[in-house]
Amino acid sequence: MSLVLGRFLQALRAAEVRVSSSEGMDAARAFAVLGLADRALLKRGLGQVLAKTTEDKLRFDDCFEQFFRSEDFAALESDLAAPVEPDFAAPAVETQLTGPRAEALETMLREGDRAGLQLALAQAAEAARVQEIRLFTQRGLYARRMLEAMGVVAVEQRMAAFRAAGDQASAAALQASLAQLREEVTAHVERQIVLLTANAGTRLREEILREVPLSRAEHSDFALMQTLVRKLARRLVALHSRRRRVDDRGRLDVRHTLRRNIQHDGLLFDIVWKQRRIDRPKVVAVCDVSGSVASMARFLLLFLYSVSEVLPKVRAFVFSAELAEVTTLFETLPVEDAVATTLKRHGWGSTDYGRALSQLREKVLDEIDHRTTVLILGDGRSNHGDPGHRDLHRIHERAGRVVWLNPEPRVFWNTGDSEMRRLSAACDQVESCRSLRQLETIINALMRMRT
Amino acid sequence: MNQPHANPDAVTAALEETRGGLARADYLCSEDVATAVFLALQLNKPVLIEGPPGVGKTELAHATARWLGRPLIRMQCYEGLDESKALYEWKYGKQLLYTQVLKDKLGDLMQGAQGLKESLARLHEFDDTFFAPEFLEPRPLLKALWAQHGAILLVDEIDKADQEFEAFLLEMLQDYQISIPELGTIKAKVPPICFLTSNNTRELGDALKRRCLHLHIPYPSLALEQQIISLKVPVLAAALREQVVSLVQALRKLDLKKAPAVSETIDWARTLVLLHASELEPGIVRRTLNVLLKFQDDIQLADTELTGLLAASLKPPHAR
Ligand SMILES: Nc1ncnc2c1ncn2[C@@H]1O[C@H](COP(=O)(O)OP(=O)(O)OP(=O)(O)O)[C@@H](O)[C@H]1O
Ligand SMILES: [Mg+2]
Repeated sequence: MSLVLGRFLQALRAAEVRVSSSEGMDAARAFAVLGLADRALLKRGLGQVLAKTTEDKLRFDDCFEQFFRSEDFAALESDLAAPVEPDFAAPAVETQLTGPRAEALETMLREGDRAGLQLALAQAAEAARVQEIRLFTQRGLYARRMLEAMGVVAVEQRMAAFRAAGDQASAAALQASLAQLREEVTAHVERQIVLLTANAGTRLREEILREVPLSRAEHSDFALMQTLVRKLARRLVALHSRRRRVDDRGRLDVRHTLRRNIQHDGLLFDIVWKQRRIDRPKVVAVCDVSGSVASMARFLLLFLYSVSEVLPKVRAFVFSAELAEVTTLFETLPVEDAVATTLKRHGWGSTDYGRALSQLREKVLDEIDHRTTVLILGDGRSNHGDPGHRDLHRIHERAGRVVWLNPEPRVFWNTGDSEMRRLSAACDQVESCRSLRQLETIINALMRMRT
Repeated sequence: MNQPHANPDAVTAALEETRGGLARADYLCSEDVATAVFLALQLNKPVLIEGPPGVGKTELAHATARWLGRPLIRMQCYEGLDESKALYEWKYGKQLLYTQVLKDKLGDLMQGAQGLKESLARLHEFDDTFFAPEFLEPRPLLKALWAQHGAILLVDEIDKADQEFEAFLLEMLQDYQISIPELGTIKAKVPPICFLTSNNTRELGDALKRRCLHLHIPYPSLALEQQIISLKVPVLAAALREQVVSLVQALRKLDLKKAPAVSETIDWARTLVLLHASELEPGIVRRTLNVLLKFQDDIQLADTELTGLLAASLKPPHAR
């Protein structure tokens, strides 16, 4: 069976279309008969072989559209013509540690051969069987396999050799391009998870979206992400207000009861139960929308928007160079427009944390009190300028809580122009927040906090 | 890649051939239908056809038979249909007659037989004769297997048959063979091309569905229905035909108990020809609505909506 079809069947099964093995074989025959020249024909034919109920047909159609994207369709045929190693059973990794492939990698890295690297990357993905990845936690493993299949170990040895020989320049150059390659490989693996599960049932898909770094989420996921974030925000609010109500049920409010029943000569006709006001925290939220977080700014804003939807007292700000309040914008526009407008007006600039935080202090310090939570979403990269930690300290002194959510993994903090060390000192809580899952945990903890 | 892929031009040509062949047999295909018939022939797989009544499910099998010049063997399903009606029966009459003949010949036969044992052995030789193919009365399924040059087997309205019968069909559809206890396995000389139709009065079993290609025929598109009418009722003027089909298509969008089928569009077109109608005017439509709609409620509903519907279908197509 062709590799492509095999994967398509996997995707179908993941999308909860029941495909028996005999149907799989029929599909293979149909695939061979129909060929790839006519996409619509292939879709019709495979559909008749594989989808037998109305629901299955809908799922099949979705799945086909996503799997055989029209843009990629023409390329498929040439992919198919390329020889594919038939047996993946043997660990492909060891065999490729050394030898011509490793040398080729070094040359490509040195010469910056993008096309060559892309090809090698694709081959390595095959060799490492990245298409089988299903769990987000496996991504490190698969990325490493891919890198090894590309011959990265030998390149590292070369690097060490350069160093030993005192050729620091060559070593550094190689290291830099290797770092970039690592990043690309990881990105590839993560995208692969997103893609492979693109056709999965909505539940699974949501699972994945919760785990995937916001920066990797596809533009097309925005809608699903949106419902997810809303769900999350609503659930959190519901959860916490329910808890309060539960806490208070059945507690007699003696003072109020007595006062109200004075007219009845102290006979308790009219009983008043204790009720605590449902205090929702006041939130001041600030979101970095500068170039360095561009890939996830949409999702951060989406979150910000959803939070303002469910919590009544949110003031929302964004900044790249200048700080701007978007509270009214969020209140008046539907989410897509609000996010798009915000990005258009304020996004993509270069960051100036110093300025943004001093402006924040000017604008909100007066109304900040011990019941206020200040939430900052940003990478804390100040372009080597003033990080604004002094202003943040002023804010921190008055606020109930300052929470900083950084979309970068912790290992990157304090490297380059990241100012997290100094900024952290002015926060109660600093978290790496790369995925919705983490976001959920953090916000949950945040809302537990009694105000 | 293990399998060589079809030459795209050959595929296109073969599909064109299918479409053309069926058109010559008076059946106009949608892309879906052409693909299904093409695949059925290529893969030797039965086609399960579902869809509302009167969209040409049954007709497709007939047309395929006409196109390929093979006999159509039809098995209409109903509740209680069993093997003896679907597969074969023994010709009891003929067997009985044969016994008579045998009895007369018995004396000659036993002549010279030494004792009971040998007589029985001689008789035994005739056992098989009783259950030879000559005594078999083939019913549709067996006929389809026996057809010298292959046949088109139409299992019509399979949803009306019982589930046991459906299960019984599986073997036949899987390997195009059937086992008869007295005769052993009978295998098709040329595998028949099988069409099963269903109106979905009950959910068919998964096992059956797995064995078939699945073709859903919906009501035809405006363009296709126009073509069908011009094929079936060529005397109807083109302008009127357009109005007729537009109106029927609009009617199908109403919330009717039973939407008009293609067969009803054809009947209506013929009626209008007989009445020498030159245009769809409300009077004539009202008088003939009962050709299209079978329920009084539906007729009433259509009547109240008629002015709007007519206005829409009378507009020239480009203005719509
Ligand atoms: N695509 C077509 N080309 C030519 N004729 C068609 C087509 N579709 C339907 N017809 C006509 O419609 C009539 C009804 O079709 P047919 O009896 O096959 O419908 P059916 O789907 O089997 O309906 P039922 O579910 O009631 O059995 C046929 O006589 C045929 O002439
Ligand atoms: Mg029929």
